[in-house]
Amino acid sequence: MSAATAANPQTKVTTPSDREIRTERLFDAPRERVWRAMTEVDLIKQWWGRGNKLVVEKFELERGGHWRFVEHANDGVHGFEGRYREVTPQERLVMTFEWDGMPGYVIIETITLEDLGQRTRVVTTSLFHTTEERDGMMQAGMEGGLNESYAALDRLLASMA
Amino acid sequence: MVQYSPALDIAFAAIADPTRRGILERLGQADASITDLAELFEMTLTGMKKHVQILETARLVTTQKIGRVRVCKLGPRRLDEETAWIATYQQMLNDRFDRLGRFLERTQGE
Repeated sequence: MSAATAANPQTKVTTPSDREIRTERLFDAPRERVWRAMTEVDLIKQWWGRGNKLVVEKFELERGGHWRFVEHANDGVHGFEGRYREVTPQERLVMTFEWDGMPGYVIIETITLEDLGQRTRVVTTSLFHTTEERDGMMQAGMEGGLNESYAALDRLLASMA
Repeated sequence: MVQYSPALDIAFAAIADPTRRGILERLGQADASITDLAELFEMTLTGMKKHVQILETARLVTTQKIGRVRVCKLGPRRLDEETAWIATYQQMLNDRFDRLGRFLERTQGE
């Protein structure tokens, strides 16, 4: 296991549909602090950039507003950007997310913050718009699984005869 | 540790791990034995076997025993750029939350 995935026991990742990934996370901080860390530029700069220098080029926190963060890492410059679709203070943030390296592959992130007193539950749902090619790949995998199940059923039926 | 639900597509879970993406990349150049891969990724044989098993279940890798050596090659299921990007994105999201958690801890009481 890499250091990156071994970090937090409070992360739960599930897939509600084949186009969505839901990431649930508990933070040991009141909701107001979590919201501020996510929406104040000076605070964002302190954690968003994977330890690299982060330049916040655009940050228009309102419906339709643009955001663009550029990370200056050793292996190069990585730009991330999108637009806000919904901003409900302390409760909900909906935005598009795109990486310069995969232009046109837009992910829609819906982030909700649930007030648990001294803790906050943050649920992020990431919605992908996948191409037919990828859907095809997933389908092929599922058919394989089904065929294997049928084969097992056949064997079972044969053994009973 | 990230916990994947049983519903999560197995191929997706397989490539969510950077080591396993590295294995696929390596096998894209040439076939390799479990021992080769364990050495390359500085890992125990047992650890590498587990990674390969996961990739095999997802049909991203196939293995074949030749004599005493288990040779791994790319499987029938191809990993496309987009799927790889989604896996990378998920990894980034988890990392980002890890850093947010540490930041909130660090700035507690401020």
